[in-house]
Parts: sequence; structure tokens; C-alpha cells
Amino acid sequence: MSPRASDVAAGDPAFEVSRVVTREDVRTYADASGDQNPLHQDDVVARAAGFPGIVAHGMYTMGTLASAIVGWAGDADALVRMKVQFRAPVFMGETIVCGGTVRSVDVATRVVILDVWVRLERDGATEWPIRKSEAEVWLD
Amino acid sequence: MDLNDALQGKTYPPVSFAVEDRRVRAFATAVAHPGDGVPPTFVTAPEVAAGLANVVADPDLGLDLAQVLHGEQEYEWARGLRVGETVTAEATIERIRGRGSMRFLTLRTIVRDEAEEIVAVGRSTLIVREDG
Repeated sequence: MSPRASDVAAGDPAFEVSRVVTREDVRTYADASGDQNPLHQDDVVARAAGFPGIVAHGMYTMGTLASAIVGWAGDADALVRMKVQFRAPVFMGETIVCGGTVRSVDVATRVVILDVWVRLERDGATEWPIRKSEAEVWLD
Repeated sequence: MDLNDALQGKTYPPVSFAVEDRRVRAFATAVAHPGDGVPPTFVTAPEVAAGLANVVADPDLGLDLAQVLHGEQEYEWARGLRVGETVTAEATIERIRGRGSMRFLTLRTIVRDEAEEIVAVGRSTLIVREDG
């Protein structure tokens, strides 16, 4: 059931979706997006850059977050703007949590601004691959 | 080699990009897109084709991909891409800022359809670490 602008209010939690990041999905993402940077495909290159292994594309993580937004809004065309900051790497096998809360609602125009983020747990600490980020969604 | 500030404002020739069903489906699987449509962030594919290909290859700019991190990304969509259409993507170096070992390069990519209408605008901010 898709939310309506009149049903949501500032401060409401909107969605939280978990997903395991796999080498296969990142490989598929590289081919489909055309971003063939070896940092995302070659463990040797990634280790030389100081990481334990390949790093997921920031855009893979943003795309997965966008999918969570679309799942909540119920319509891909509802997402009209998105701005994210990449703050931490994501490694293979990690579980990312894509989340959003309602920042503001304009009931007259049905424009909803969401605060959105991606977080994960690593070595007992919470990391934020995406934070201080926002999305603009037009609801019915 | 350091980033060449003089290239701020440079626009690269538009690149043509066909939205193919097979590629859209693979992308949708990779990002867990719900439903049958084109994922909004599929616009990354023409953006990469126009931007990365041009900017990385530009000998005048002096960008070393090994020294680049993706710092920020923004999209504004006028509409979603459609399977079967061919769009063009035009990349411009909107801004180069920062001093010393950390530089920020903002690349704006405008994606237009066959009627020249804007479909989406992307802005990528790359963090470029410069040694020495």
C-alpha cells in the first residue's frame, strides 16, 4: 500500500530495508552501469589502495537505496531528486541497511522530503556509507 | 600531474546511449529494484558513458583514476528512462575547487531524449587526492 502525502508527517520513519552485498551483484552492477573501475572488481587493486578487498561502487549503494525509496513510494516516477554523500566503503558480504525518515511534507503540492541513509555494522561499530543525504518524492 | 583548473566550464561532446532491455534488467537485479520499470539510477549508465569516458581520457585535465574517490552524487529526474529509446548525455566540468592535496571536481551530466527534452541531470563530485 503506497503512502499518500496526507498520511505522512515530519519525523515519521518511512522505510528500513536490509540487503547483503554480494560479489555477484557488484559484478553485475559494473557491467550494467559501465563503471569498470578495478577497485570494484580486483582484490589486488583494492588491497593496494588499502582496503581488505574489493569495494562496492558508491553508485551501487545509492542505487540500492533508491530501490528502497521506490519500494516505499510505490512508483519509480515518484522519485524526482536525490542527493547523497558517500562517507564509508562497503565490502563484500556485509549487510547494508537502507533507511529513510520523513523530513517535511507539503500537503498542498504533495512533495515529501526524506532524510535517507545507508548504514552497516563492522567490527562492533556502526559505519555510514551514505548519510546526511536526501530524496524528494512526489506522493499521491 | 595536478588538476587543470582552466578546464572548469569545459563541455565534452554528447555521447549517444541506447537504453537496452537486457542491460536495464541486469541493473535492476543488481540494485534490487522493485517492479518491472527502469530503475531511476539507471541514468548512471549514460552518465558514466559520457562523463567518465571523456574526463578520464582528457589529457588536458590530468585526472588519475587511482587517486579519485566518489564524494557526492545528485540526480534530478524530469522523467524515467524508457527501454528502447536512445538518449544523449553531455558532460560539463561544472566546478573545480579545493587547494593542496584535496581537490573537488564536480561533473554535471545532462541526459536528453530524441526530442532534445531533458530527462535527467546528474552531478558527481569527485574527490581527487594529489600527491606532492
